Amino acid sequence: MKVTFKIWRQDSPDSKGELKTYETDGLTEDMSFLEALDHLNEKLVLKNEKVVAFEYDCREGICGQCGVFINGRAHGPHDHMTTCQLHMRSFKDGDTITVEPWQAGAFPIVKDLVVDRTAFDRIVEQGAYITAKTGTAPEANSIPVPKEVSDAAMDMAACIGCGACVATCKNASAALFTSAKINHLNKLPQGKAEQHTRLLDMTKQMEVEGFGSCTFTAACEVECPAEISISSIAEMNARYVKAKIFG
Amino acid sequence: MSIFFRKFIIAATGLFLCIFLIVHLSANSLLLLPEASARGLYNAYSTTLRENPLITAVSYLLYLSIIFHVIYAAIITIKNRKSKGTGYRVNHKQENSTWASQNMGFLGVFILLFIVVHLVNFWARVKLGIGESVGLDVDGNTDVYEITYTLFHNIYYVLFYILLMIPLGFHLHHGLKSAFKTLGFYHKKGLRVLAKISLVYAFVMSIGFGVIPLIVYFK
Ligand code: HEM
Ligand code: SF4
Ligand code: FES
Repeated sequence: MKVTFKIWRQDSPDSKGELKTYETDGLTEDMSFLEALDHLNEKLVLKNEKVVAFEYDCREGICGQCGVFINGRAHGPHDHMTTCQLHMRSFKDGDTITVEPWQAGAFPIVKDLVVDRTAFDRIVEQGAYITAKTGTAPEANSIPVPKEVSDAAMDMAACIGCGACVATCKNASAALFTSAKINHLNKLPQGKAEQHTRLLDMTKQMEVEGFGSCTFTAACEVECPAEISISSIAEMNARYVKAKIFG
Repeated sequence: MSIFFRKFIIAATGLFLCIFLIVHLSANSLLLLPEASARGLYNAYSTTLRENPLITAVSYLLYLSIIFHVIYAAIITIKNRKSKGTGYRVNHKQENSTWASQNMGFLGVFILLFIVVHLVNFWARVKLGIGESVGLDVDGNTDVYEITYTLFHNIYYVLFYILLMIPLGFHLHHGLKSAFKTLGFYHKKGLRVLAKISLVYAFVMSIGFGVIPLIVYFK
């Protein structure tokens, strides 16, 4: 399989980047997208050229490291899928594939396809945890949690922090990510004690980092690998009002 | 002022304007009646409204809503553009979201243009007495019907009033359902129903307002 990659190359945060074209041969349909990039990099090494920097860790859709913009979509052409789960069979022989890093003011480019997503970490630091020291794993039945509540909390906990929601959003809003982190804990009895400060602190940080506001275009829920729904953002808004009144 | 507060203002004022549009369209459908009954009824209705202090209060709320909606919409559109950064070389937004949702500000500019022209056509003449003076009908009511009648016998105004209902329809289709989510309505089944209601609402409003000038033109 033969494809033409057009890949964003940028040496450092301050340098000017550009799309560079690479003709790539010898790919197979069974290769994952990241393996295709590995393949390209091997060729570049042999030619003594600088390899394309891109991030990954698990390569099985759980770490959230691998996000890039592929042919105008976050994580490529499919809905709800990470870049590492995308395979070359989703493209045709001879295709041109444009690969760009996430674009958002709060996600500065580090190098090539790698962006700095520590803004997410700073939002998490504002309260996406409970402050009680829990020691070792407690007896599971000591705090009863209704099945619907634990299921709903698990759905929110599925967010892998990949940043696709921000990357695809016309406002670079982090509302989907932040709402998932907030709702996850605020739904559970363990999270209730700090629900209002958690919400106010985390949303404040979201704004401090320079993320935009939410227009509900719903692009994020289409690209989100964890299928977090935009109703999660509406729920965060409802909780915001509650926190302002009772918090 | 927080990111939430600005959006709450846009949503609340937007919803208020949405309710206003229902009332406005209901009243304007009087214009669809045959000339003989339409003139008397419409003028009587419009005079009653103008003389009611409660309605006057609501009308000030309406002006404020438009002003705040536009100001905050402009603020967040600018802020959001700054958040975005440089943007992509290739971006297939149409595959994950509707065009209207991506272009609310752009659509809003057309609506604002419409509102300004519309106010000059009616409100400025009837309320402020600016422009050509307005006569009285046989019952002694201000003849607002006559303004409508003459305005909509000018084909350029008819076209303007019809065409500008297209951006309104798109703005309302996304705006109505979005406003509820902004204000914290998150019931999943309810949101699916709301999406359908928004579509029907946008259709009824844009076609309803759009068809009136056309019918008056052929009267
Ligand atoms: C009849 C007049 C109008 C009505 C009924 C209306 C209604 C609405 C509604 C219900 C929303 C949704 C609020 C939300 O997303 O929470 C909205 C959003 C918006 N409106 Fe309007 N609007 C009107 C006129 C205008 C005008 C004149 C402008 C600008 C010049 C404008 C600009 C915007 C913008 C930019 C948004 C999107 C805000 C965002 O990014 O979420 N609108 N409108
Ligand atoms: S909400 Fe979805 S798209 Fe956003 S960071 Fe979490 S997993 Fe990624
Ligand atoms: S590499 Fe871990 S999610 Fe893709």
